[in-house]
Amino acid sequence: MNKGKIVSIHSFRGGTGKSNTTANLAAQVAMAGKRVGVVDTDIQSPGIHVLFGLDETKMGKTMNDFLHGKATIREIGFSIGEHSSGGEGRAKLAGKNLWLFPSSIRGREISQILKEGIDFNLLNEGLQKTITEFDLDYLFIDTHPGLNEETLLSIATSDILIIILRPDNQDLQGTSVTVDIARSLDVPNLLLMVNKALPKYDFVELKREIEDKFNAPVTGILPLSFDLADNASNDLFSLRFPDHDWSKALRGVAKAVLAVE
Amino acid sequence: MKSDVLNQLQKTAIFKNVSDDILAEVAIKASTRKLAKDEVLIRKGEKGDSLFLIHDGWVKIVTVDSKGDELIINKCGPGETIGEMALLDGETRSATVIALTESEVLELKQDVFEEILKQRSDVPLAIIRSYSERLRFSTTYIEKAIDWSQKTAEGDYSFVEQIQPLVEGAGSNDDKAAQLLSAFFAMVRRVKEREDGLKQQLEKLTFEIDQARRKQEFDEITSTEFYANLKEQARALRQKRAQG
Ligand SMILES: Nc1ncnc2c1ncn2[C@@H]1O[C@H](COP(=O)(O)OP(=O)(O)OP(=O)(O)O)[C@@H](O)[C@H]1O
Ligand SMILES: [Mg+2]
Repeated sequence: MNKGKIVSIHSFRGGTGKSNTTANLAAQVAMAGKRVGVVDTDIQSPGIHVLFGLDETKMGKTMNDFLHGKATIREIGFSIGEHSSGGEGRAKLAGKNLWLFPSSIRGREISQILKEGIDFNLLNEGLQKTITEFDLDYLFIDTHPGLNEETLLSIATSDILIIILRPDNQDLQGTSVTVDIARSLDVPNLLLMVNKALPKYDFVELKREIEDKFNAPVTGILPLSFDLADNASNDLFSLRFPDHDWSKALRGVAKAVLAVE
Repeated sequence: MKSDVLNQLQKTAIFKNVSDDILAEVAIKASTRKLAKDEVLIRKGEKGDSLFLIHDGWVKIVTVDSKGDELIINKCGPGETIGEMALLDGETRSATVIALTESEVLELKQDVFEEILKQRSDVPLAIIRSYSERLRFSTTYIEKAIDWSQKTAEGDYSFVEQIQPLVEGAGSNDDKAAQLLSAFFAMVRRVKEREDGLKQQLEKLTFEIDQARRKQEFDEITSTEFYANLKEQARALRQKRAQG
């Protein structure tokens, strides 16, 4: 029985705010009382675990170990609800059903995995097992930018794909290809989200124009904000500053995710 | 001089519906007062028992602000009437009136006025009529102000263009409701201007997607064997999920 939904967060370019968005979305959905998992795909450079205030040395086994049969999914899930620490915002997650699943499917390891024949079905089984074992409502995957094979796997397995874009020509061009790929891979729910939008733009107009170009809903336009840039890795911004415009727009995206049947 | 007075009384709001023969009598019974510059005509807080018509010269209507400084609310000159309400309600004066220049005013005492009211039963009715007209006028304007406030709150400024002549026509009227309305109107116009200004500052972003490049990149990705396999597997997976 396929109960939980897989939500991938993707962007054409790097640094668009995928990790921040994923962590905050997962937190908001957990705050709404859902059982949530987050696959952290990047434990070398500052990734999601940092946003949750976790130290990578505390995290033992990874998704890779699981995929190689060296660990059970139970051993990998790291409870944020029990270990939430440091930060007024993060403290709100105490007792919530939110788990982090570290993995490092990137660089050298991805080629190794592909060579070993870990394919789409195996990855998918792993994700499904994660959902079943932890009885998850949502499993968020923070993907890598661009359209490499690993990312294509994440897109192909998604029930919901959130594409984050920055409002400029270069990013829109790249996003158009991602949108076509998502449709070609039959992703049932394609949601767009704009991040780092300069407040001087007319957001209503921007939303209309992007929806028009891609024929997909823009679930939120999140402003470029120095407050966020300053605070980002110290705490979960949307929990720490719920009244900030960025947080309000992010909650709109969370609402759109929760609204998907 | 008395015919000037008659003229002036005819223009005074409360006498609007009072017949000329009565006003002529009122004019006769009014007494003339000469004021030296800086002489106090009315003192705030005193009981009001007369109306003044300014015949010559200028007076200032003043009050005292919170710091104790004199604050000039208004200046009145020839032909203008001060303190007319006192004739009817006898309330204490709400402001002080001081002569700005040497002046001549006509004073109509409340008791003299009441004598006339007693003798002529049509006068009270005429005064009531004047007041009810004024009240109706004020009420209409208050209703307008309510309506406009609601519209403004909703961001609907369409009335600004439509109502303009009505308010400007009322500009000469010394009625306070009309003054409120034109102040209100000016305020909304300013708010609208500021808002329009802000809207104009928002920039519109336009972008173009190079469709040929889009297709080329899509074809590059989807032409691999990896992709063909993935697409097949993804389709099977989605079918499986749909069946639950
Ligand atoms: N709306 C915003 N306003 C200002 N800064 C932002 C905003 N969103 C994200 N950032 C900042 O941009 C940087 C990149 O964000 P983040 O790590 O979430 O992006 P990413 O897409 O995951 O990056 P990568 O592609 O490298 O994984 C961070 O320093 C973050 O604080
Ligand atoms: Mg990231």
